[in-house]
Amino acid sequence: MTLRTLALNFGIVAGLLVSAASHGYLYLHGYRHIPVVGTGFLVLTSVFVALAIVIALGGPAWLHAMALLMSLGAVGAFALSRTVGLFGFVEHGWQPAPHAAISLIAEVLTVVLCAVSLRGVLRSVS
Amino acid sequence: MTSERDPHTMSRRQLIRHGAWFGAAVGLAVVGGEVLSHIATVAPTAQIAQPTLRFAQLSDSHIGFHGTANPDVADSFGRAISQINNLGYTPDFVIHTGDLTHLATPGQFDQVKQMMTGIRTPHIFTVPGEHDSVDDAGQKYRAAFGAGTRGDGWYSFDVAGVHVLGLVNTLNLKKLGHLGADQLEFVEKDLAPLSADTPIIVFSHIPLFAMYPDWGWGTDDATQALSYMRRFASVTCLNGHVHQLFSKTDGNVTFYSATTTAYPLPHPGDGPAPKPLTLPAGQLHDALGIREVTYTKGQGALALKEEKLQ
Repeated sequence: MTLRTLALNFGIVAGLLVSAASHGYLYLHGYRHIPVVGTGFLVLTSVFVALAIVIALGGPAWLHAMALLMSLGAVGAFALSRTVGLFGFVEHGWQPAPHAAISLIAEVLTVVLCAVSLRGVLRSVS
Repeated sequence: MTSERDPHTMSRRQLIRHGAWFGAAVGLAVVGGEVLSHIATVAPTAQIAQPTLRFAQLSDSHIGFHGTANPDVADSFGRAISQINNLGYTPDFVIHTGDLTHLATPGQFDQVKQMMTGIRTPHIFTVPGEHDSVDDAGQKYRAAFGAGTRGDGWYSFDVAGVHVLGLVNTLNLKKLGHLGADQLEFVEKDLAPLSADTPIIVFSHIPLFAMYPDWGWGTDDATQALSYMRRFASVTCLNGHVHQLFSKTDGNVTFYSATTTAYPLPHPGDGPAPKPLTLPAGQLHDALGIREVTYTKGQGALALKEEKLQ
């Protein structure tokens, strides 16, 4: 494993864990009572933690693709909750602060790092 | 004979290895989810055996409505009452967030009041819907349900350390709900002596947030009322009127629209107007329901549990 791969994995794991921590905190502090969205927070937290562990242990590249897709989904859900609503749930701006901003930054970082990592893998295959 | 393998295909060993990674990821996710939900549900109840406050919300029973969207609204309301009576505990109170009747006739008020006497709870509170004040600015409503209220039927009370406001935003309607200067003054004075850590619950019929102003789903002077609540740590606004579940947070305020016991309405913007929806046979009761609300001292947010009509 090269230093570059190690650094990328570290960044992806950190991004996943930060987003999971933010969503987990919100789940425990009231969001679990919001229909559908509460369950979504629970699923996101547990899946992100699981992905972070298996990526940290040196799992295969498709785990990065999973992390990328899940993070993109989380960013999309964030956008929906600020615009047309997500299963009838709407929030304003960066509320709840600071968790909204922290998790969004972490998810965008994860998407970027996963894309870079997968690009490297695709290049080495071709 | 050669047995060279295509480098792009996967060997059995690789397949097993990938399967193991996948299994590990799924297993960890399931374990993580179990742990988190366990922390969420078991830990608080272990510390505090019983919530500080438990109440139930009913809304939009529209007694007197006749139509294909629900041929028997009285039966549905009776089921909702029965469901509350079988929660397994006696709620501290029950709130009906308006449109008790469909056309505010004396007979409809009499029927809904009689039915509500069957609810097993120490206190029943109501706020009027626009259907409860179609022809008399709410006089018949106040005669039936307005005892102990102020102004045009608004009120406040304290229970279990929580301050509750019942507001009337269905009189003087143009398109949106309206509170009016007198009621805004009442809200300001009512909240002034309270400490900022007092949890606030607000009942109204029409949403206090702009859910869909084109259909009148909002209150034109709610911003003024909410400005008096900004300093409080936790404000929960519960409303009816829109016949569907919807929630929104705005700073310290969380808004929850309730479903109905009568008939569903379309989602905002689905069609030209909010007309009663006739669902396929057997699906009506899934769209109707009641809400349980729990408050535990020390926890900022109220816990809501939505239940479909049984």
